[in-house]
Amino acid sequence: MAVVLIVAEIKNGEVRKPTLELLAQAGRLGLEAHALLAGAGVSTLADTLAGHGAAKVYVSDDPSLKTPFPGQITQLADTAAGKSSATMVWFSPSEVSRAAAPALAARKGGSYASGLNSLQADGAGWTGTRQAMATKVVQKIKLSGPFQVMVFSSGAFEAGGAPKAAQTETLPPPPVNPQLSLKEVAVEEQKGEVDLGEARVIVTVGRGAKDPDGVAFVKKLADALGAGYGSTRAVVDSGWRPHSSQVGQTGRSVAPEIYLAVGVSGAIQHLAGMSGSKKIVAVNKDPEAPIFSVADYGVVGDLFKVLPVWLEELGRLKK
Amino acid sequence: MKILVPVKQVMDVELNVRVAAGKVVEDGMTLVLSKWDENALEAAVQLKEAGTASEVVVVTVGPESAGETLRKAMAMGADRAVHVLDPAADGSDSLGVARVLAALGAKEKPDLILAGLQAQDTDMGGVGPMTAELMGIPCLSNVTKIEGTGPTLTIHRRGDQGREVIAVTLPALITANDSLNQPRLASLKGIMMAKKKPMDTLTLENLGAAGVAGAAHALTQIAEFQPPAARAAGRKFTGEPEVIAKEVFDLLVKEAKLVG
Ligand SMILES: Cc1cc2nc3c(=O)[nH]c(=O)nc-3n(C[C@H](O)[C@H](O)[C@H](O)COP(=O)(O)OP(=O)(O)OC[C@H]3O[C@@H](n4cnc5c(N)ncnc54)[C@H](O)[C@@H]3O)c2cc1C
Ligand SMILES: Nc1ncnc2c1ncn2[C@@H]1O[C@H](COP(=O)(O)O)[C@@H](O)[C@H]1O
Repeated sequence: MAVVLIVAEIKNGEVRKPTLELLAQAGRLGLEAHALLAGAGVSTLADTLAGHGAAKVYVSDDPSLKTPFPGQITQLADTAAGKSSATMVWFSPSEVSRAAAPALAARKGGSYASGLNSLQADGAGWTGTRQAMATKVVQKIKLSGPFQVMVFSSGAFEAGGAPKAAQTETLPPPPVNPQLSLKEVAVEEQKGEVDLGEARVIVTVGRGAKDPDGVAFVKKLADALGAGYGSTRAVVDSGWRPHSSQVGQTGRSVAPEIYLAVGVSGAIQHLAGMSGSKKIVAVNKDPEAPIFSVADYGVVGDLFKVLPVWLEELGRLKK
Repeated sequence: MKILVPVKQVMDVELNVRVAAGKVVEDGMTLVLSKWDENALEAAVQLKEAGTASEVVVVTVGPESAGETLRKAMAMGADRAVHVLDPAADGSDSLGVARVLAALGAKEKPDLILAGLQAQDTDMGGVGPMTAELMGIPCLSNVTKIEGTGPTLTIHRRGDQGREVIAVTLPALITANDSLNQPRLASLKGIMMAKKKPMDTLTLENLGAAGVAGAAHALTQIAEFQPPAARAAGRKFTGEPEVIAKEVFDLLVKEAKLVG
């Protein structure tokens, strides 16, 4: 059975859902899944990976991997792929994989694609689909040759499984490139906020909220709905919300059941990160705003008049 | 410090993109410098203006028309350009382009390579990190700020846990986030000066890179382009805000299960 190595993405002490999706998908494609579990204090998560389908877990648990450089992950993935005779390595879409995955492909002389949202066997290779040109086109892309590196978009597949005892092998942490030293990690994530990658509902605030008070006001809607709270680049650049909340081409790609865009114009770079949402709701006072071209429900109006009604209705429903 | 900026000419994705017979219709599309490459170039030119960089070289691997993109880059402030113009490079995948750039890197020996986060037509984000790997230099992706004068730079990048501040000793490759800067428009003077700046045209053979790029060596190939799945037409509500707000709320609860 062909082996695929899946590089696990860990956040706040948990395996992120995109990793679980990949583990499940490997099984559906008849592949033997092995996983690389790298980080600081992550060993206990091996059983989660095993329960979701990893026949073998390569564990590298070391303080030096708390905020790894991509080169360390490339090195570990290379080692683990070698040990498991994997012909494919799969990554979820993270900032580390942005650099680690292509570097691995270059090292192995393999084929490479990012942003994949489907995959099927095609002769000796694989064919997948991915979006390009700011999601204005879909590419059918063929990956051939003896080694493939793939980065999938989140929500590409269904996850499923429950923890079970893992078969593990320990890998020593790779050295840090002496040219690099990490000075600081400014953790910006707001405590208690719902992970955008896993939220069923996302409320995203745009520059239409005007100022920090407006941004705090729109957050009330997210809180009342138990929703993730995203933002546009305009809001992030203004310093009103953390980078990690940015939805769009250079931020997070999200695909929730319901996406509520509030005071968001709908620039293509923003649409590219959220157009996979099942239902899109827009509140914007400009009837010509491009967001309306993708909205299932478009409310032409002032957000400061529309949201109070919604908050009141939600309050009533909860009682 | 010498800076190399790999740039790509792309179809303007802001325009209406059409697909026919498995291909993107080129008719009516204009060709532009990919946005993130403008950010990379702007950063390089700012380092030059600050006296940190001594030379900014732009390079593209692309057809005849890509020469315009190099002129534009020089109008924005690059000192000279290298056009890798060779039909044998047509149909390269990310790794093919990276191999060509790495071959040029071996020749030019830049201290810093500033690439785009991803090209606007591919949205792949492969070429930069691959080039760094092939050259054996570290790659820092998605960079939002560059400080210092070398040989060590302090960079800020978007990381998985938040903003990472990293000291990097050159040589290194950086990929630019669009928040890195606001790219300048080329001035009239810049456009005039660019006409006189040197542009080298090289083949793969010139670079010692024959047989490493091009369709024949591409293990990753686009089989076809398709239009995106069409979204069902939505409904737009206008009128008294309070009234339509209530109307839409009820629909969201009923049809979309807003309150799960
Ligand atoms: C290479 C590149 C990459 C980019 N990547 C991203 C990305 O990842 N994510 C991203 O978001 N952007 C990205 N951008 C930026 C993008 O092009 C837009 O500039 C940005 O999305 C605009 O944010 P906005 O909608 O909040 O602001 P604006 O465009 O200023 O829109 C504000 C909207 O609010 C409406 N409004 C104002 N007041 C009210 C009110 N009281 N009630 C209701 N509506 C109101 C206005 O009508 C307007 O439509 C990128 C740009 C480039 C060039
Ligand atoms: N043909 C090319 N010539 C020069 N540089 C390129 C080329 N293709 C990609 N690049 C560089 O690599 C970056 C990422 O491209 P991509 O991997 O296609 O997303 C771009 O922003 C450019 O800096």
